[in-house]
Amino acid sequence: MRPAIAAGLVLLVSQSGAAAEPDQGAQLAATCASCHRLDGGGTGIPSIIGLGEERLKSALLAYRASERPNHIMHAIALSLSDEEIASVARYVAAQGK
Amino acid sequence: MKSWTRREFGCLTGAGLLTALSPRKARGQAKARVVVIGGGIGGATVAKYLASSATAVDVTLVEPRQSYTTCFFSNLYLAGLRPFESLGHGYEALARQYGITVIHESAAAIDPAANTVALNNGSKLSYDRLVVAPGIAFRDRALEGYDDAAMEIMPHAWNAGPQSKLLRRQLESMEDGGLFLIVVPPDPFRCPPAPYERASLVASYFQNSKPKAKILILDAKDKFNAQDVFQDAWNRHYPGMIEWLPAQFTGGVTAVDPKTRSVITAGATFKAAVANVVPAQMAGRLAQQAGLTDQSGWCPVDPVTFESALQPGIHLVGDAIIGGDMPKSAFCANSQAKACAFAIAADLAGSERFPAHLFNTCYTYLAPDDAFSNAISFQPVDGKLKRVLNFVSKVEEGADIRRKAARAAEGWYDAFTQDVFG
Ligand SMILES: Cc1cc2nc3c(=O)[nH]c(=O)nc-3n(C[C@H](O)[C@H](O)[C@H](O)COP(=O)(O)OP(=O)(O)OC[C@H]3O[C@@H](n4cnc5c(N)ncnc54)[C@H](O)[C@@H]3O)c2cc1C
Ligand code: HEC
Repeated sequence: MRPAIAAGLVLLVSQSGAAAEPDQGAQLAATCASCHRLDGGGTGIPSIIGLGEERLKSALLAYRASERPNHIMHAIALSLSDEEIASVARYVAAQGK
Repeated sequence: MKSWTRREFGCLTGAGLLTALSPRKARGQAKARVVVIGGGIGGATVAKYLASSATAVDVTLVEPRQSYTTCFFSNLYLAGLRPFESLGHGYEALARQYGITVIHESAAAIDPAANTVALNNGSKLSYDRLVVAPGIAFRDRALEGYDDAAMEIMPHAWNAGPQSKLLRRQLESMEDGGLFLIVVPPDPFRCPPAPYERASLVASYFQNSKPKAKILILDAKDKFNAQDVFQDAWNRHYPGMIEWLPAQFTGGVTAVDPKTRSVITAGATFKAAVANVVPAQMAGRLAQQAGLTDQSGWCPVDPVTFESALQPGIHLVGDAIIGGDMPKSAFCANSQAKACAFAIAADLAGSERFPAHLFNTCYTYLAPDDAFSNAISFQPVDGKLKRVLNFVSKVEEGADIRRKAARAAEGWYDAFTQDVFG
């Protein structure tokens, strides 16, 4: 059984009427926000806004495999599962739209 | 299909929570109230991520200061490489964009039985959940002679602000050929590489304006992290200027004498022109008073939710906690704060909690255009925060990579402070 962690999995919990929709992509993107501005600005560290889902995914996979050398992004990518990479790429790509 | 189990799980948690939160429901409030004490890196991050989470939460942030001065990059200020004002960050965006109620007061006491926080102005705040992020305090009588008055003569500059300005003034007025002394406290303390970064950057300032000056580091330890990288850089950039004495050579610093600006070790007395004395540390005073610390002086927490191991319903993040392998850094405080905010939000809503990603990167300057970095990830293992991946710059790293890291550090500061303060 694959754990159900697909982004967009909506958990409606009708507690005090509030609908909570925790989004794994958003939570993972919070990690990226410690270094990458998610409003598209920033210097010194490249922006990841506007790259598109596929480029984000392939960049993360390349850092994970050390095909692109950078020890910070290598550590970040190594700590992410394939599903998490897909989920954060989808979320970050949607921010650029 | 598969999400059904999760849904059920979510509902179950939610049902469990209804009982826990019934007092606030009885009072007819629609939203859970979370009070965050301390608007530093950890506290401001928790407040922001809770306020922007999918769960409806009323967030109140209690912080006495109108503007926060970052310790990170304060060594650049000490070296004259950055204006003091560039280290300051206000709370306007957190209030306006995120709807956080920011109260500029100190929290005086916590009543965990009544779920209230008393403020210095006499008012009281009720909470459903409390987050405490008070940073560090200095241990009393850790060094004989180092009291409040001594701090004004031999500054620590380990909380950025007036202390940093005082140390900068002293460095500026120091005569060429003077001795700048740095006293490094025993572990654990805020930002392990920072004393050596400070020595490096002050050396770069001396090299340009007081080339005959010397720097002496009196350490409470016998070795330090990335020692090879630092010592290589000191030899390359500032040959003969920086001397580091481990505790095994000096017997450790035991006392200071502010009248003569002297630092006393077991075997010798060192008279300084400028003395930067960083005392031993513990969790911020409020954590001590509220019974959130153990005999170590720091706060034990659950490594998944960051809930206190001593007081249920109270969460702690940042320098004040027993972080296991996580060092006391702004990056760690920010990373813990996000995990804590997501855990609280999930708990309040009874919704799914995703595995947290805890991370640390510190960019450390060896010279204005020579910086190195580390990248460490952590996971909760057997109730402790364990290091799982650890990468650090090597001695032999090329100058171009180091120059790039110094530029990346600027980008990090910009993105990071935006992440914390909005
Ligand atoms: C010289 C130096 C360089 C550093 N460089 C780096 C670096 O490059 N990278 C890095 O990641 N880290 C760095 N750090 C470490 C970093 O500054 C700290 O780890 C970080 O600030 C910890 O965050 P915190 O939220 O725990 O505490 P703080 O940021 O200190 O925040 C605590 C807040 O709580 C408030 N407070 C305390 N008591 C109360 C009360 N009773 N009521 C209300 N509010 C209260 C205080 O006013 C303060 O604003 C450096 C530190 C130093 C000293
Ligand atoms: C500790 C700081 C840090 C964190 C956290 C971080 N990054 Fe990075 N990122 C960097 C740096 C530095 C670079 C530039 C690396 C290089 O030179 O190749 C980079 C580069 C990238 C690139 C390449 C950009 C391009 O133009 O090709 C992508 C994509 C990226 N990061 C995605 C992410 C994602 C997604 C996350 C969160 C899961 C993340 N990063 C978290 C520091 C960070």
